[in-house]
Amino acid sequence: MSAQLPANLSAETVREISDARDEPEWLLETRLEALEALDELELPDVIQTPGRRWTNLEALDFESLVDPLNQADETTRESPEGVVVLPFTEALSEYGDLIEERFGSVVDPQSNYLTALSAALFTTGTFIYVPEGVDAEDVKIRAEMNSRSLFSHTLVVTEKSSSVTILEAVESGDSVDDARYFSNLVEIDAGENSYVQYGSLQNLDEETYTYSLKRADADTYSTVNWIEGNLGSRLTRSDVETELNGEASETKIVGAFFGHDDQHLDVNARVWHKAENTTADLVTRGVLDDEARSVYEGVQDVGRDAWSTNSYQRENTLMLSDQSEADASPKLIINNHDTEASHAASVGQVDAEDLFYMVSRSIPEEQARNMLVEGFFVPVLEEIAVDEFRDDLEELIAARLR
Amino acid sequence: MATLEIKNLHARVAEEDGEQILRGVDLEVKSGEIHALMGPNGSGKSTTSKIIAGHPAYEVTDGEILLHLEDDDFGDLEIPDDARTWNLLELEPNERAALGIFLGFQYPAEIEGVTMTNFLRTALNAKIDEREELLFGEDDEEEEEEAGYDTSPMEGNVDDGEVGVAEFQKLLKEKMDLLDMDEKFMQRYLNAGFSGGEKKQNEVLQAAILEPSIAVLDEIDSGLDIDRLQDVSKGINALRDEQGTGILQITHYQRILEYVEPDHVHIMLDGKVVKSGDASLASELEDKGYDWVREEVYEAA
Repeated sequence: MSAQLPANLSAETVREISDARDEPEWLLETRLEALEALDELELPDVIQTPGRRWTNLEALDFESLVDPLNQADETTRESPEGVVVLPFTEALSEYGDLIEERFGSVVDPQSNYLTALSAALFTTGTFIYVPEGVDAEDVKIRAEMNSRSLFSHTLVVTEKSSSVTILEAVESGDSVDDARYFSNLVEIDAGENSYVQYGSLQNLDEETYTYSLKRADADTYSTVNWIEGNLGSRLTRSDVETELNGEASETKIVGAFFGHDDQHLDVNARVWHKAENTTADLVTRGVLDDEARSVYEGVQDVGRDAWSTNSYQRENTLMLSDQSEADASPKLIINNHDTEASHAASVGQVDAEDLFYMVSRSIPEEQARNMLVEGFFVPVLEEIAVDEFRDDLEELIAARLR
Repeated sequence: MATLEIKNLHARVAEEDGEQILRGVDLEVKSGEIHALMGPNGSGKSTTSKIIAGHPAYEVTDGEILLHLEDDDFGDLEIPDDARTWNLLELEPNERAALGIFLGFQYPAEIEGVTMTNFLRTALNAKIDEREELLFGEDDEEEEEEAGYDTSPMEGNVDDGEVGVAEFQKLLKEKMDLLDMDEKFMQRYLNAGFSGGEKKQNEVLQAAILEPSIAVLDEIDSGLDIDRLQDVSKGINALRDEQGTGILQITHYQRILEYVEPDHVHIMLDGKVVKSGDASLASELEDKGYDWVREEVYEAA
């Protein structure tokens, strides 16, 4: 990759970050290897349609966006009893071995240029550990980004027959002039028969470029449900992925986005069926206003050994403005015919007959439109387990409409 | 007593070279009266109903639609002298509704994510607000801040509007009982997954809640089994008997007229009302068919 990096991005810088956090040798090594790999790695693939490359990651000016030694965030973590929710700096002393074993096992730091950059430079993030048999609800992590650039890494490990619901919310704190860069890697290692719902709400200011990769490894009989909410940022590249590696494992990838002004949203949901009797349901609903653009890719990959697979995908984009643009590519790859699958995507405007129906009942047109848009998001809202997350998302949607 | 007066209404599909559909419709419906509007497919019945409500797909090329209001039309609300006659064609659809026009749809929209309760309470409050604004020119300040963050797609804005949640639930339950509708409908999404019959019941329920002066019901009887037809008919009669609503009922069939007996029957052909009479006209039509009307009208002409 030939991206221009800041002059002070060196092994020295990475050592300084790692030293300041008093990290073990293995983590420093992981960081240094990621740094070294940058030369070889490519940016993540983006959707191309004839004559058009939808998301221009090459244009990101890392030289000015990335300031490795000046990362600042204010993060609060609420943890119910029985579950470990700690920043890595605190978690390493007690859970060092476990973290060493699992860190980077789901999201390979060297997946692409941006993951490697993130692994080399991350200074915030959370380690969540749910011991065997523990049921934990409402883990809440709220992060405020207070610097030009911020790199975050989160690792969730759930042991056998445990369950947890998580909300991660990210927003901008201190205002920094000019553009910013936020990078967020999340990996979930879901143990046998465990249940995880990971909800993410990104509402960064519209000067921020956001890259996020979330990936889960679902063991036998486990369920990993993602809820991905994107309202903020100037440009968002979000990938949410589950590997169904265990028999009878399940996943839902539920997404909501609402872009306005000239926001750009590149959202992707992917699932790999790699074992028997696995189930996936991908549901994304997006709304675009003003000159906002969205590009969606959904992939259901049914592997050769994935007998008796159920896999469903739906994506709907609602355009509130003639100037907004959307592209959707639902992809279904089937290598095992013992599969029940569907995939569909639609892009459209508020239905004129629905609107007339409501207006004919005295509801003013704009209010009727807002009700329809809020109703459009309900299938996503209904999936959310953490009440505070649902309330926040509803509130942000309502605020954006008015 | 309100009067809906349609005079020489001409209309076409609102697009380039749009087809002319109405060619001079004259009709007058008063509060408390039941009118049946009959006619073969394509004669302009549904179009007439949509134009009364203000559907944007049609363009009125000539004629007018007036709504005359009298003192007692909005209960205790006094209607200023200069706000007693309204040219509906100058009003937005929601404003027409606020003044007491209701359209029962032949194919009601199915709206996921908006509950019946939220929808109907929002509609009722919007009607009350809009009506006051139209009658008294009050620019309701509250309306602007309606944005409120307490809004919810499930329940609506809890604190908002004249009619609160508790009061509304009571009203809704009362009206549902009247129509023999199950309470479970209250929390369901608007028409989503409703059977054809349930949707039609819901149209009548909405009229019962909004208490219109004039309700135009577009083929409310289509797709109903006999039990549901009776429930719906009971609801329509109650609109007239208890709220004094004037009914303009569009139908293909004599069947519903056995349960909802019309005071007046009108027959449309080729975009015009060509024949009017009392209930016996519907029976005669049932026996003789539209060809009889056509012959009679065109021979006379």
